[in-house]
Amino acid sequence: MKTEELLHKSLDISPPWNIVRVREDLGKQQIDVWVARQTGKSWFFGSKSSAIPEDREMAWRHVNLGGCRCVVHAVPNTESPPLPWVGEPGMPFTHGMSRMIAAMMRDGIKLQSICAILDITVADLWKFKHTLDSGKAGLSGGNATTAAIPEASSSSNVPDPDSPIWEKLLDGSANIDIRLLGLKFLLTKLREQMRVITDPEVRVLKAYELQRYFARYEQTLGHELAQLSKL
Amino acid sequence: MKANTGLMSISQASALISAGKFLNIAGDEEALKQLPKGNWIGGTIPYFMSAEGGKIARDQVFVNEIVDMASAPTIRQYDVDSLPQLCRNAPDHGYTILVVPAFGPCHSSFAENAPNYEDMYIKPVVGWVAGVHLEDLGKTTPKVANGLTGELSDQHAIAMDVPLPPDQYAQIDIVNLFQPGEGDSITFDSTGFAAGACTIGGKPANLAEFLTTNNIDTRLPLVADYCGAMINVSIKAVDAKAGKVEFYAPVFQGLTYKIAAPVKDYVHEFQAALPKIESGITFSCNCILNFLYSDLEGKRTANVTGPITFGEIGYQLLNQTLVYLTISK
Repeated sequence: MKTEELLHKSLDISPPWNIVRVREDLGKQQIDVWVARQTGKSWFFGSKSSAIPEDREMAWRHVNLGGCRCVVHAVPNTESPPLPWVGEPGMPFTHGMSRMIAAMMRDGIKLQSICAILDITVADLWKFKHTLDSGKAGLSGGNATTAAIPEASSSSNVPDPDSPIWEKLLDGSANIDIRLLGLKFLLTKLREQMRVITDPEVRVLKAYELQRYFARYEQTLGHELAQLSKL
Repeated sequence: MKANTGLMSISQASALISAGKFLNIAGDEEALKQLPKGNWIGGTIPYFMSAEGGKIARDQVFVNEIVDMASAPTIRQYDVDSLPQLCRNAPDHGYTILVVPAFGPCHSSFAENAPNYEDMYIKPVVGWVAGVHLEDLGKTTPKVANGLTGELSDQHAIAMDVPLPPDQYAQIDIVNLFQPGEGDSITFDSTGFAAGACTIGGKPANLAEFLTTNNIDTRLPLVADYCGAMINVSIKAVDAKAGKVEFYAPVFQGLTYKIAAPVKDYVHEFQAALPKIESGITFSCNCILNFLYSDLEGKRTANVTGPITFGEIGYQLLNQTLVYLTISK
């Protein structure tokens, strides 16, 4: 495989899109790539590509290339499903990176750890999370990153995160009597978020968040879990 | 081990500090300044619920000794920028006691943003808002104390992270005697410590005008139902001319509030509402507004003791509510 093919494959870029420019000197441990629509043979990587209109160009953090951060410069497009190497205007990450982060959040990896693992800033991650929580952006439409369903202990009474009970609790179609103050607050907050979140994958994230709380406090949630089993 | 908890003299508190105890201390600013450095956090307030009843004292301090712990608690001082790390820094298994000075930047920031802190509601956070003697309002500011350095600050919050052994867990509960009244539902378009425009009974309205024209007793808080927990927002001031109402905690966009129904006899109803607590209370605090409006000076609220505060923290900022922490096995 040629180097350019490897780079296109690594970044999930395929025709008619093409890498038209690469720089590795704009930041330490950072590779910047510019992507545009391929129109024929040209000087770079053997392809001729349309220039990126500078006034419409945006940049997003994409999945890392080895130990290097990768920043994609391109014009936002409305391809459906969304292309993995492009992002939404105003968002810090490409769709591919967003789905990778969402999968880590779904698995309960702490935000600080996600920042460390992916070498992203806390500010960017919070912006991303706030946008999802407020229903202003979604994750659906691309190849969903399959989450590893946490293995519940054989003696656990907590339903799996994919159980429909979580969605029912979150949308208010099911109610239980709650004794733990922390859970009352958490469920109120998640229900507020669910009122505005329409994206199915983001709603799944919230179900996982609620299930993790029950799994963490299973020993003290006997009253609540007994009601779940009857719903 | 029995905890040294209660209202005590400055010399008694000093002896506990010198013995290396981990303490949460409430007292008047001049009293806190006399305490030696050590493993304690604190905040200014001269109002207390003592074993004998509600009391105002400038020459005594209220001490909560921390005895249940897996390892030595950690004292952390936060400014407004680092405060969002509060729960992230908290022990995975344990709890955090937080003291925030009223009217400072940490107070408003915590009140509005705590619900969105990472790990909020996952790790228990209990605490209180420091205040001043009401005669000193405008003359001095509420402060928190970092016992490790002896520093008092009106710009920082102070926290003690307490890790617990695996067989013990912390539980925060509240006693709020206020229930939503029969009146119309009230919602707000934005989150904040002040509001004017709102929706009342589904129609656009102004809250200040509504309170004034309906002659509503503003000692009654707004109450929202958080999945069964009744959470108050107390009214600080009503400016009918400007059409603005100020609160002691923020109202949140999206939540539905009602004016609370009146409480006839706070002491009697409090005793009826307090559940039987078998393991003992590790920490508790009650609100200065309950102290004032229900005239609690000299009156006992069951066996619950602690500082009378300018705001209570049970995960997030609360008003006109008793908050208590128990450690159970």
